Amino acid sequence: MADIPRRVPVAAPLAESAWRVRARRWRELLTATLANPTTVIGLVLIIGMLAVALFAPLLTEPNTPDPYQMPRDWGALNEPPGTPGHLLGTTNTGGDVLYGIIWGARTSLRLSLIVVSITAVVGVAVGSLAGFSGGRIDEILMRIVDVFLSIPELIFALAIAAVLGPSFRNIILALAVVFWVKYARIMRAQIIHIKKNDYVDAARVIGDSGWRIYATDVLPNSITPVIVQATLDMGHIVLVGATLSFIGLAEAGLAEWGVLVSEGQAGISAGRWWASTFPGLMVFLWALAFNLVGDGLRDVLDPRTESAR
Amino acid sequence: MTPPRAPAADVIATVTDLRVHFRAKGGTVHAVDGVSFDIRDGETLGLVGETGCGKSVTARSFLRLVPMPPGIAAGGSIMFGPERVDLTTADDRTLRRIRGDRIAMIFQDPAKALNPALTVRDQIAEVFSEHRVPDVLARAGIGPATADGWLLRRRAARRARLPERFALALPPLRSRSAAIDRALDDMIADALAETQIPNPRKVMDRYPHELSGGMRQRVMISQALACNPALLIADEPTTALDVTVQARIIELIRDLQQRHDTAVLYISHDLSLVRWVCDRVAVMYAGRIVEAGPTAQVLADPQHPYTRGLLAAVPSATHRRGELVAIEGTVPELIDPPPSCRFAGRCAHAAPACRRRDPILAPVADGHEVACFLHHPPDDADADDLPTADWVAR
Repeated sequence: MADIPRRVPVAAPLAESAWRVRARRWRELLTATLANPTTVIGLVLIIGMLAVALFAPLLTEPNTPDPYQMPRDWGALNEPPGTPGHLLGTTNTGGDVLYGIIWGARTSLRLSLIVVSITAVVGVAVGSLAGFSGGRIDEILMRIVDVFLSIPELIFALAIAAVLGPSFRNIILALAVVFWVKYARIMRAQIIHIKKNDYVDAARVIGDSGWRIYATDVLPNSITPVIVQATLDMGHIVLVGATLSFIGLAEAGLAEWGVLVSEGQAGISAGRWWASTFPGLMVFLWALAFNLVGDGLRDVLDPRTESAR
Repeated sequence: MTPPRAPAADVIATVTDLRVHFRAKGGTVHAVDGVSFDIRDGETLGLVGETGCGKSVTARSFLRLVPMPPGIAAGGSIMFGPERVDLTTADDRTLRRIRGDRIAMIFQDPAKALNPALTVRDQIAEVFSEHRVPDVLARAGIGPATADGWLLRRRAARRARLPERFALALPPLRSRSAAIDRALDDMIADALAETQIPNPRKVMDRYPHELSGGMRQRVMISQALACNPALLIADEPTTALDVTVQARIIELIRDLQQRHDTAVLYISHDLSLVRWVCDRVAVMYAGRIVEAGPTAQVLADPQHPYTRGLLAAVPSATHRRGELVAIEGTVPELIDPPPSCRFAGRCAHAAPACRRRDPILAPVADGHEVACFLHHPPDDADADDLPTADWVAR
């Protein structure tokens, strides 16, 4: 058309390749995320704690045969922080607090990663099925979800873990059973909302199959709240997991923050603050970091703020 | 149900006694209640009416886009193409083959009708992948039958999964796989150029939110016309656009339609627009067609009181200040309507006969049909019961 001025004169530039287009999208997203200082603080905290978790075998001498068990030094009970060999002090059973914190980070990472991946996948599958197919299937699945939601999550998880017996694996299992319903709910609501868009009808008009429409039009546009929720849950699950192990539902002597806090609590009144404070601080920082990043992601990924960009 | 009428030779689609209802709280809403019309090859048929008159539901029935439930296919048929496929009963596979290939649709709001997560390239490639895989392969210079053809076919259909993509990126298939990508890009660029998008190769890599409203609408038209459909359904394609862009888009649709000999079903509430665009027009009111005929004739010599009211309500340059007349009242509730003329409640000429039974569509002149007792009084009615109007000689 002659009356539309060409922005780029001469020869048309070559088309960008597909991965470059995608890279541009990701770069935009990253820039927007990093524009928020609190998100950056959260990210730095997360990277730091992930590094601690990943390099735990290098930072400490791993206990044998099971490095996830706290090593016991029966010759050094209740040592205060600063003691040579026990930088953050020891518990009343001779457990090294620093070792517990470092390997506890690894335990927490394992816990949150496993629980979040299981719950997100199951929740997205159930929510998608309910939201996309609708009708009776939706009705049945959502009533099941309602049943799960009617029990307070902590009590529910506690009950399951208690029935299964005290072990870390059972805590993972209990949390997975309790937490998937949230994702199912979010996903269903999101899909029902996205399904109303004209572009879903447009895809149908093109002649796409139902599965194809789900995969290219519905899922990619519905997934962002799940990503935000998963990030928040990375923190939340460690919090709930620490609560359960504090109560004593993990194996005794596990290098886990909740276990460590409970080991140290008896000494608090006697002035031995360190055994509880340091692991407690770690739980706090972990939950805070993921909350900061989760909130930052929500701001960036929320379609309302996206249109404003 | 009346049997489908015998089609004329050049008719692309025949709608017969279409009824689409919706289940609602107080009963059944008769959104489309016995609509019949033909669309001829290459013509533009306007479907005009107020919001809620059933024009969109009628159009969407062509592609079975009316959600059911709450919608109910209460009867009638839509016979499409020379093979007379009934779109209301066709199985999903038949329907999927027709959708996008032989019937396409342009939506009202391009901002909502393009997937925000896909680039323009991906949106348009989808049509070719669904309906034009042999063409893509031919354009890439690949014969139909080779041993590794299935992989390349999957590439052209953009259905290759991760391990398959890996195989396609390796030497024996690599060059042909790249040729397919180039061929697809060429076809997409051609489709975009068709709608006079400047610099199509650049636009291809844009996401919808990076384009202006007019550009988005052009992209959507490219997508709709990519497979050169026999019938294009345009559901108020310019309502969401600026007036200046509107004129260009309408020009574009008209131009493309004439070049490709596409029939267009043009849905609009805007009579002044229809005058420009459509060869024939059907005026809908409350789920029924009340008047249909050649656009020029219907607009110059409207016979139904509703059409006359609509025309009096359209502002134009020749109207003087204060001459516009709104039609009194609102569209009636369509929940379980009694047998009567749907317009009787708002009609200045309504007589007792109008409230007792339905008028049916019948010819008043060549190709011009009206459903009104002014023109076709029922045989058994008293003269006192019948409506009269100054423009109808009795």
